[in-house]
Amino acid sequence: MTPGKKKLSYSYYPGCSLHASGREYDISTRALFKALNVGLKEVPDWFCCGATPAHNVDELLSLSLCAKNLSLADQVEGDLAVACAACFSRLKTTQHHLKEDETKRKQVEYAIDGPASLNKPVKHILEILAREYGLAKLEESVKKPLMGLKVAAYYGCLLTRPPEVPELDDCEDPSIMEDILRALGAEPVKWSHRMECCGANFTLSRPGVVLKLSNAILESARLAGADCIMVACPLCHGNLDIRQKEIKEAYGAPDSTLFGSIFGSDLPLSTTSEDRRDLPIFYITQLAALAMGVASQSLGFESVIIDPKPLLRDKQLL
Amino acid sequence: MKNKLMHLSNETMNVGFVKKVEALSGSSVRRCFQCGKCSAGCPMSTFMEHPPNRIVRLLQLGQGQRVLAGRSIWYCASCETCTTRCPNKVDLAAIMDALRKLSWDADGPSKESYVQLANRLFIENIRTYGRQYELRLGAIFNMKSGQFLKDLMLGPKLLSKGKLKMFHSKNRNIGDIEGIFKRIEEMRKKGEAL
Repeated sequence: MTPGKKKLSYSYYPGCSLHASGREYDISTRALFKALNVGLKEVPDWFCCGATPAHNVDELLSLSLCAKNLSLADQVEGDLAVACAACFSRLKTTQHHLKEDETKRKQVEYAIDGPASLNKPVKHILEILAREYGLAKLEESVKKPLMGLKVAAYYGCLLTRPPEVPELDDCEDPSIMEDILRALGAEPVKWSHRMECCGANFTLSRPGVVLKLSNAILESARLAGADCIMVACPLCHGNLDIRQKEIKEAYGAPDSTLFGSIFGSDLPLSTTSEDRRDLPIFYITQLAALAMGVASQSLGFESVIIDPKPLLRDKQLL
Repeated sequence: MKNKLMHLSNETMNVGFVKKVEALSGSSVRRCFQCGKCSAGCPMSTFMEHPPNRIVRLLQLGQGQRVLAGRSIWYCASCETCTTRCPNKVDLAAIMDALRKLSWDADGPSKESYVQLANRLFIENIRTYGRQYELRLGAIFNMKSGQFLKDLMLGPKLLSKGKLKMFHSKNRNIGDIEGIFKRIEEMRKKGEAL
């Protein structure tokens, strides 16, 4: 840090998942920011942004829930840091829509009984790391480079789409995750499914959909030679980690499929069952904090289903 | 229904419905020239009887009931690929939201009530607690959908991993949150909001 430059500091909207099913994302985000000496202060009394279910059936409700949370965030100094891709997308969408549509803004302001605050910059953890903290400084801060770790960077849907809303990176060919991985000393792999949907919140209502879509993502990462997948969304993490064993049971024996029985297991489109290895799913903040020398015990590895420790030991990162 | 011959007339075309969809979504269906990019990129089109481009075509032809009666709108994952790739700036993801809202308001003829049930419980959770209570969401979903054994083995595992919390407290500002719901209902009652 150059002398006299103000310490980076953010207000923080964790979101519901980070307080429960994605708790290790919250734990590792706090640990990482502490290690980088970046301030992070939780917004008091924040509540659910409505996520996909709210805008699915009631856009006005979705916009109002987010607008109220944005005005709560105004009480805390600093740009608003968001880790969850769904919360990030909803908060950015709300600012974008309400700036453009005055009628909707007035309705929302009536609903939240106060002015909509649309000017606080909302930033995803990825852009804070890559652009505000900066890739060069991030690379300098690395204490334990993630040498030899082949990572499939998975963007999913909401970090980049639709293009005018998140303003995070290119909507078809982003590179922010790979850039961060290189700065951490890891090796991002090239793969086909980094922006395909995992099935998201169908995990509750239609798990079969999730099994099919997430299986394609896991297979694509395996075929690209990845050791693990890195995500920045608690729903993507849940689908790829929590449901991975179920996916293996559902799609685990490629030879029993029609393709398998006709072409045998050397079909290049799928891996063989022996090769269908477990893929640990990391949050961006877990990998970054590990590279910054944060003790693995404080990164929430005990909470995940696919144990990442054997892989990390194998790569001499633990 | 899919392949049934369609007769277009004033009686079979509901233009009012399409106008409602356009007003709710802020997007025109008339701009679509059927290039099909939305359906080509849609991760869910294999689950749908009408792929996204056909949904827009049906709306252009005033066939709202056909769209609502099908399951396509309840299999849209809101991934926004269609909106991102449309060369004519048709916001198909917003149109899907509008269609679900209209089906929701009418307590729809949709066959896909599981998704509707999940959405309803999720929103109820916000109104009651402020933040999501995931254990309750899953448990009540299973009860109400009659799938008592769904993810039965997963629950205890996630509890032991700390990924589900047994108990959950309400937000201090739950009154403010209730106020948002109430005022939206009030605006709609007065016809001041869609």
